[in-house]
Amino acid sequence: SVQAHKEDKPQKLLEMNGHTPVPHSYDYDLIVIGGGSGGLAAAKEAAKYEKKVMVLDFVTPTPLGNSWGLGGTCVNVGCIPKKLMHQAALLGQALQDSRKFGWQFTEEVKHNWMTMTESVQNYIGSLNWGYRVALREKNVTYENAYGEFVGPHTVKATNKRGVEKLYTAERFLIATGERPRYLGIPGDKEYCISSDDLFSLPYCPGKTLVVGASYVALECAGFLAGLGLDVTVMVRSILLRGFDQDMANKIGEYMEEHGINFIREFVPIKVEQIEEGTPGRLKVIAKSTNGNQIIEGEYNTVLLAIGRDACTRTIGLDKVGVKINEKTGKIPVNDEEQTNVPYIYAVGDILQDKLELTPVAIQAGRLLVQRLYAGATTKCDYVNVPTTVFTPLEYGACGYSEETAVEKFGEENIEVYHSHFWPLEWTVPSRDNNKCYAKIICNIQDNERVIGFHVLGPNAGEVTQGFAAAIKCGMTKDQLDSTIGIHPVCAEV
Amino acid sequence: MGWEEKQVHGYPEFVQTAQRYHGRPIFALFCGDKDAEGRSWCPDCVTAEPVVRKELPNMPDESVFIYCLVGDRAYWKDPNNDFRKNLKLTGVPTLLKYGTPQKLVEEECFKAELVRMLFTED
Repeated sequence: SVQAHKEDKPQKLLEMNGHTPVPHSYDYDLIVIGGGSGGLAAAKEAAKYEKKVMVLDFVTPTPLGNSWGLGGTCVNVGCIPKKLMHQAALLGQALQDSRKFGWQFTEEVKHNWMTMTESVQNYIGSLNWGYRVALREKNVTYENAYGEFVGPHTVKATNKRGVEKLYTAERFLIATGERPRYLGIPGDKEYCISSDDLFSLPYCPGKTLVVGASYVALECAGFLAGLGLDVTVMVRSILLRGFDQDMANKIGEYMEEHGINFIREFVPIKVEQIEEGTPGRLKVIAKSTNGNQIIEGEYNTVLLAIGRDACTRTIGLDKVGVKINEKTGKIPVNDEEQTNVPYIYAVGDILQDKLELTPVAIQAGRLLVQRLYAGATTKCDYVNVPTTVFTPLEYGACGYSEETAVEKFGEENIEVYHSHFWPLEWTVPSRDNNKCYAKIICNIQDNERVIGFHVLGPNAGEVTQGFAAAIKCGMTKDQLDSTIGIHPVCAEV
Repeated sequence: MGWEEKQVHGYPEFVQTAQRYHGRPIFALFCGDKDAEGRSWCPDCVTAEPVVRKELPNMPDESVFIYCLVGDRAYWKDPNNDFRKNLKLTGVPTLLKYGTPQKLVEEECFKAELVRMLFTED
């Protein structure tokens, strides 16, 4: 806490913890803590306005010792490698389908994990390097160092050799993101991996247990199975909490019908190592969530995907008085991304009650900087943000889920239009004819305005993007009906 | 031990040299051929070379700097030449750290700070 020794020396600069005086002119206009999607977008934008900017990015190694370069979660251990591996799995499926379209190849098709992982990591490396060059060219100072507040307007940056430096700035942007949560059971940190480890795993994971029912869990389970691995998903309660549950269940059913095992209503209580190796053999003991039933299973790899925690607890926020939600670690901000401390802002996954998506962080970061340095007034619009879950059957959505729409507007005031469809490309190879699905939710009281869009099918992300723009423009059901479809594509439904 | 320079001409000689020094940090600068008077057909290479040479002392110890002349202009323009196909080069000059995705292309090579960053980045 701050103590002003007024009775001692009135001219003395105000000190925090007795060590760091607050300077009158700062080293930087803006220091960004965290070099991920939000942080880098904001830093590059600020450089455009000739501001003196520093980015501090540091990756605390995973329990298994894994680390990565500049760019944040999305680039290194999130969206990018995820989508590439999802694509690898889709290509495997396409190879199977191709025989029905006349392609003949005699060899059995197998997948090589190392080949895929090396290619993916090489691409990520080029992105890390690209960011280094971009920052350097824009004269943004970058340090691979852990940033934490030590006093007003002051951060301490500690690099991997333990060397500490102090920097001051007029304003700060916290964009430290999140890291995977562990279960807190015996054997979790020693033997389990998380998404932080999966995308650079130097050996094929083999028979895998995925713990969790988040989109991370289902996407990973999906592509691992698509690459030919034996995959089981252990779910504590529901799938894809927060998403439209009708769609979530359809996704789960599809995965189950396509060879992914689900163990429902169980949680692991212990993980033991049977045999070391790459991969080794692990024993997982799990307990039922309703009752005392205990089960055991053996797997090569256990992937934990039970949630992510904000990196806000060890960056010295208490030293500058930034309030966080003690329970979740998230930072509440106003609609201008400002924390309770006027010169400290925050963007990205660490924000309370905001969507955890790369494009949201980028947009929020850019608009914030434009407001700070370019006199702009536009605030980030967090409503009607489209998303896609890249499970084997992809799910794209924008706007309200059916449950939330019913809750907000009342069941009698919404109308849901839906349809199954069979992609033309799936007909010849005899793939499922009743799994792809689309629905829109309309507000009857507002001209049947489309307030929710959900599609389950191939290329869901590509399909959803255009509809998101239409929803932002306030499209109504009539307008949608009067838009002639493109044929033959899934989106015409 | 410091660093050493190897000058090569053409793709096979480049590959041979890079393989010989496997295990040491290898940096390579690719430029267009020079005529009898020592002038390159590639004006950007002429600008980049002194900038890169000035930063060479910043390379880590034991580094090998391979100065590679790729060929004449016609060879370079061929979209199927070995450098484009196998090393994925898109332009000359290119300065790269062999075996990594780290590289600087064309005007990026004019900037001493970027060159230094490439040489000192770990």
